[in-house]
Amino acid sequence: MNTAAIGERLAKRLTRDKADTLLLLAGALLVIAPHFAHLPVWTSATAIVTLLWRAAITWRGTRMPPVSLLLPVALMAMGGVYLSFGTILGRDPGVAMLALLLAFKLLEMHARRDLYVVCFLSFFLMLTNFFYSQSILTALGMVVTIIVLLTAQITFQYTGTVPPLKARLRTAAKLFFIASPLAAVLFIAFPRIQGPLWGLPGDARGGRTGISETMSPGSMSSLAQSGAVAFRVRFEDAVPPQQLLYWRGIVLSQYDGRTWTRIGRTVFTRGERAPKLTMQLRGQPVRHQVTMEPSGRRYLFTLELGAPDFYIPGHRVISTDELESQTIRPIEDRIRYDATAYPDYRVQAALELEEQNKWLQLPRGANPRALALGGALRDAANGDGARVAQAVLQMFREKGFTYTLEPPLLERNAVDGFLFDTRQGFCEHFAGAFVVLMRAAGIPARVVTGYQGGEMNPVDGFLTVRQSDAHAWGEIWLPNRGWVRVDPTAAVSPERIRSSLSRALPDTAPFGLQGLLDLQNDRDSWLSRLRYNIHALNNAWNQWVLDYNAERQRNFLQELSATLSSWRTVAALLSLAALAWLFRLLRARVRRDPVEAAYQSLRLQLQKLGMQLPPDAGPHTLAQRLDGVELPEEKKQAMKALLELYGALKYRAMDEDERTRSAKRLAELLTLAR
Amino acid sequence: MLAAAKSFAGRWLFQLRDSEPGEVVLTRRRVFILPTRPGMAFCGLLLLMLIGAINYNLGLGFALTFFTGSCAIADMVMTARNLAQLRLAPGRSMPVFAGENAQFELRLRNPTTRDRFAIWLGFQRDGEPLLATDVAAGSDSAVQLSTPAKERGWCAAPRVRLATRFPLGLFGAWSYWQPDLKVLVYPYPEQNAPPLPTTGAASEEGHGQVGLDNFAGIRSYQPGDPMRHLAWRQIARHDPAHGGQLVTKHFEGGATAELTLDFDALPASIGLELRLSRMTAWVLAAEQRGLPYAFRIGDQRYPAALGEAHQAACLRALALYGKEAA
Repeated sequence: MNTAAIGERLAKRLTRDKADTLLLLAGALLVIAPHFAHLPVWTSATAIVTLLWRAAITWRGTRMPPVSLLLPVALMAMGGVYLSFGTILGRDPGVAMLALLLAFKLLEMHARRDLYVVCFLSFFLMLTNFFYSQSILTALGMVVTIIVLLTAQITFQYTGTVPPLKARLRTAAKLFFIASPLAAVLFIAFPRIQGPLWGLPGDARGGRTGISETMSPGSMSSLAQSGAVAFRVRFEDAVPPQQLLYWRGIVLSQYDGRTWTRIGRTVFTRGERAPKLTMQLRGQPVRHQVTMEPSGRRYLFTLELGAPDFYIPGHRVISTDELESQTIRPIEDRIRYDATAYPDYRVQAALELEEQNKWLQLPRGANPRALALGGALRDAANGDGARVAQAVLQMFREKGFTYTLEPPLLERNAVDGFLFDTRQGFCEHFAGAFVVLMRAAGIPARVVTGYQGGEMNPVDGFLTVRQSDAHAWGEIWLPNRGWVRVDPTAAVSPERIRSSLSRALPDTAPFGLQGLLDLQNDRDSWLSRLRYNIHALNNAWNQWVLDYNAERQRNFLQELSATLSSWRTVAALLSLAALAWLFRLLRARVRRDPVEAAYQSLRLQLQKLGMQLPPDAGPHTLAQRLDGVELPEEKKQAMKALLELYGALKYRAMDEDERTRSAKRLAELLTLAR
Repeated sequence: MLAAAKSFAGRWLFQLRDSEPGEVVLTRRRVFILPTRPGMAFCGLLLLMLIGAINYNLGLGFALTFFTGSCAIADMVMTARNLAQLRLAPGRSMPVFAGENAQFELRLRNPTTRDRFAIWLGFQRDGEPLLATDVAAGSDSAVQLSTPAKERGWCAAPRVRLATRFPLGLFGAWSYWQPDLKVLVYPYPEQNAPPLPTTGAASEEGHGQVGLDNFAGIRSYQPGDPMRHLAWRQIARHDPAHGGQLVTKHFEGGATAELTLDFDALPASIGLELRLSRMTAWVLAAEQRGLPYAFRIGDQRYPAALGEAHQAACLRALALYGKEAA
């Protein structure tokens, strides 16, 4: 080979390396880019600069930086991580380090071994991205990234000609899709261990919002409305009407004039209920399954009145005297539990005087006007709790109280301020003031917080309860009836309870366009349908991919084995397999060249007649040898014609038309020769 | 002992055969596969990812782990398939002279509908294969493997090792094949061989004979040169004690001379291999100069002739002299 040719090959080789490296860079970028959202800005900038630097080196074909330059830079980056996070251990600093490591490794790539290091690092960095997001989009990104990384890895394996990028991408995609069924089976069947294997670092989970253990009506001027999902509910039976969807959470009984808090821990575990708590549950039970988003807190929410009656893997559930349900550990993962609620209940129908006092406590000296009002109401109603409550609700309805999410701030005597001055507030104000008035009237009362309502998704039948559905209401104790729910907010804003929060407020049209608002509120508009479908998809994703835990796995596998043990399923599967096999067979037959098949068939026939057919004997030789064989003349002629035609088809130039005709004639001759 | 065990293992485990005539199909049973070093590292990575997914309860982490793991398994299948069903056949082989490299042509046929890439070939004893080839779907590819031919006679192709790591490099598949292929190795042609002997060369009179009258210069003496061809005048000029050498007069034979290359006429004292080497050199020289030559060795006699076939027959006789004709 002369020098010019060697030079040309070298140039070709170089451009190939260039293209290969750029592909690898693209893969690394796909892996690092999702991390930009949560990495410190300087880390992202460093990673981008490093990738660009590497791309420039590749593009211009210059030398890579020496280790003496890279090492100080890498050490500086480590120092930067320490400065940013105050530590180099833990999840976030670890991810930042990995991202930087991947970027720097690309600048220190010399051997084939380094290529594998880059690919493997990329795979691992992809996993760390799931700390932050596990949405469907992230999953799609994962699939694309895997295929690009596989393509890069395949690309470096070629030794001769390298197919174009498109073909290589196809090879990688093929590999991926061959792998998918096995991956799916592994995903379903691989034994799931209820994590964690060791203590999670403190920052393993981001902060979550949820209902708080305290409530201070009037200290916040505006309620933060969060559309985040609190939990989703699937009803086994008929869905109760919207105004009965009270999701009980935390019971607040202690009031210091400003803040409501929970009463001291009167905790007992399941099975050892305090003897004083008597419950009578009647009517049609409402069975439902709650899938709760991680809240970082310990409270479980169930439809009133019920308690989770199911084992929750990894958690121990306890109940309190106030009919709260909670877990021992904070809820850091999405959990799922079944519950049965009874709309008709009677709890603690008899309450001893001593016990009643717990629910009558009020701070001394605070809210004097409210206390006076409470006393007046009791006197007017002769101490009948139900009538007092009615009077308070009537007051809320008729004395110009308004429901708003942006009430004015309240001074020291918040209840007085609310009842007699501002008269504007949301559920916390109403519930708080109501309970204070009831206690002032000598009726045991308490505040219950939780959620009210929810949005039913007609696509998958799941009810979605959001943080914005958070609600507070009152509970009063009446002799012989026990605890009774009273929702003062409903008296002021029945809309809030009947439909949902968004309906209860005056609408503000987005961008000032009334049309958009109608679209948003109309349950049958295409926008709503799209929204419902997306929500349903997200919910299915959560239920089946993200929350596929040991329990769900057990249930699914049991169901599967039950299905498989029916003979119908087995028969269906068997016939499917048979069909697939037939299809394959047919396709193989079609793929065989009919001309070649005719020739082979003739050869077989001749062999049966006892003719010696050396492998190298062509059609011409066979035709000559036919003379020595005992055969009817017309058969012999047909065979000879067939052989001649075969030779022509095989070795002579023919146009398409002639070819088709000859092939047809060949088939005829074959039948003649038989 | 160890060697014997190793040989037994090789024969039993890798099904090494002595020789396989004709086309050989690399059946699935003949293809062996093991993870490569990066493959082992990948296995470690998968374990790490699995632990991470369990510990942080990452649903997508499980998905990623299982998908990449399954890709590795698909890679294993594809790597094995890259070799399996490959058809191997010995190609042509050209004779070489001892000391040269014997070239073995191997033909790889891919009757399947998928392209095969990056198949490495080499002789098993040379360690890792160094030569790579692609075989497109439904086509052939030929590769030349070479090994030094040290001895004259038949040189059989050593056992061939085929290996591939395509597509991901996580697994290495390999197979062995003992092709039924041998190359004829002619004796090493003697360098500076004495001039071609003519019929006159055997005469006692020496000078004046036809074909020996074209004095073509002198060259250094080689054992076996006739004494009367020594260039005494030149030898006398250099005192042997001071580094002088024996030199021989070199004659260009006349075209009319009948040239007979008779192995038995060479003095037995100079050794068998050297005689064969000289005969070889002479055959080549005669062919090069276009002198028809008769050839005799043992019972084999070829009348004077010229041309490739004649040369090949003579060289073959020399190569196989005293060896079992194979």
